[in-house]
Amino acid sequence: MRDKLLFGRCIDTGSPIHRLDPRAKITGMILYLIAIIAVGSWPMLLVTVVFSIVYMLATRIPLKYFVKAAKPLWVLMVFIFVVQSLTVESGEVVLQIGGWALYAGGLKSGFIAAARMALLVSFTAILTFTTTPGLLNQGLDGVLKPLQKIGIKTQRLTLMMSIALRFIPTILDETHKILKAQAARGADIKELPWKEKGKLLLSLLVPVTVSAFRRAEELVLSMESRGYIVGAPRSEYHLLTWQTKDTWFVLSYVLLVAVVLTYRFI
Amino acid sequence: MSVHFEQVSFAYDDRSLWRHGALADVSLSITPGSFVGIAGITGSGKSTLLQHLNGILKPTAGRVKVLDFTIGAGDKGPLRELRRRVGLVFQFPEQQLFEDTVEKDLCFGPLNFGVPLEEAKDRASRALEMLGLDDSFLPRNPFHLSGGQMRKVAIASILTMEPDIIALDEPTATLDPQSRAELLQLLSRLQREEGKTVIVVTHRIEEMLPYAESWIVMKDGTPIFQGTPAELVREERHLSEAGLALPECIRLWNQLAIKLGLEQEEPCLSAEAIAERVAALYEHEVHPPTWGGGAGDAG
Ligand SMILES: Nc1ncnc2c1ncn2[C@@H]1O[C@H](COP(=O)(O)OP(=O)(O)O)[C@@H](O)[C@H]1O
Ligand SMILES: [Mg+2]
Repeated sequence: MRDKLLFGRCIDTGSPIHRLDPRAKITGMILYLIAIIAVGSWPMLLVTVVFSIVYMLATRIPLKYFVKAAKPLWVLMVFIFVVQSLTVESGEVVLQIGGWALYAGGLKSGFIAAARMALLVSFTAILTFTTTPGLLNQGLDGVLKPLQKIGIKTQRLTLMMSIALRFIPTILDETHKILKAQAARGADIKELPWKEKGKLLLSLLVPVTVSAFRRAEELVLSMESRGYIVGAPRSEYHLLTWQTKDTWFVLSYVLLVAVVLTYRFI
Repeated sequence: MSVHFEQVSFAYDDRSLWRHGALADVSLSITPGSFVGIAGITGSGKSTLLQHLNGILKPTAGRVKVLDFTIGAGDKGPLRELRRRVGLVFQFPEQQLFEDTVEKDLCFGPLNFGVPLEEAKDRASRALEMLGLDDSFLPRNPFHLSGGQMRKVAIASILTMEPDIIALDEPTATLDPQSRAELLQLLSRLQREEGKTVIVVTHRIEEMLPYAESWIVMKDGTPIFQGTPAELVREERHLSEAGLALPECIRLWNQLAIKLGLEQEEPCLSAEAIAERVAALYEHEVHPPTWGGGAGDAG
């Protein structure tokens, strides 16, 4: 169970990507998102795929982990593919069944849409794979800082983010522990028929939620009792330092966006 | 042998980037009906070892034999019967309770093993009583109990299954000193009077010295000592090697033993027992003791 869910886990391989400023990585991801949205043709899809793979390889994390990260969303991808292929009516008819026709253009846009989704998920995994939650949070804080000028309480946002990130593994862990305790008392989810499996999982909902809330409460109390006040000025643990390599990293994404947009609109 | 480990190794998240070895080449035996203490510092693999007893974890290499079951790497067979006969109390009781009343939690095990509801309820209130809680706890929500009460309910929920082997992971943590002593006495009684095998993980050796008949000391996922309390006292270096604090009474006994030539005797491991033994020496004047410096901190 634990090893299937990769979200939010940092895999330390000590690659150059790991050592980049988290703000650069977050900015890069935002630019990547823009590029992905603008991709609409085979050549640009190819360019983006190559760009992504180069960066994934640079993290020194085996590619299969990026594939795994996208796996939980495969149902959604299939869905997007089917909907797109059935609704877009352009190009030649590839298949005709009664009144239904499947168009080449539909297939193409379905495929591209699903590929964009897969790319997006596995590529953003670079961010969580190469950045510890603490740094991620600090980076987000830095990127959002300009919003404070227009009166948005960004610390609240980042605190929420970091608590959510901090709790996802905890909740999974907790679920895992209760499943173990139930197995020890004769209800092993692995040995039960499907219907019973469902029931057992449902019965977990309450205790896991309760304990997640209790944990959250304890965390808040312990933070407050150590003098934490949301939004109060406080010194950071690590000082983030922006270096030339961070600028180059961001520039490579600007280039990607520029290429994709130029191709699209010219 | 009621428990037999044959060169067992175990790694968490085996075959992934997060692979983390927790047990390495563990071979050990536990005789039926004995009271066994497992000691070791945090992270030495005690909890991992315990979870092999009922197949919650399965070895990545080697074999575990418990009662008449054998579990090897990759074995899949049904484990229900094993789990009925081996009761495992996990380290953190709050992660072991999941029903919304204490009674339901206590009946969960027995009902899974086909015990009729009436009898399950009967067992529930008996088990609670053994742990010094009365029936007023039955309808309560386990998540609203104090840490110590939760611990007791968690232990009771295992006793209701009436297992042959009871394995407890640091059961005395979060208990007050009196409940601690009562729990150990209860376990000792179950062992002596009902012939259960009791296996207790602890990092407080001294509180279990009066009860344990044999000890296993873990270090870095491997047992570095297995033997009787007398052997443990004689080979106290294993404790410091494992990073554990040497219990005061063991240190005291060893100092006296050297001074008074009692090395071959069965060690006395409480202040009273030691005092009596020394008094007896004086009375009979078998060895006129010669006190030197350093024994002054003996009292
Ligand atoms: N669920 C888990 N996933 C990964 N590693 C674990 C897990 N549980 C324990 N470990 C690791 O296994 C080793 C042994 O842990 P454990 O058996 O809990 O030790 P102890 O109970 O003696 O404190 C430790 O290094 C610990 O970090
Ligand atoms: Mg432990």
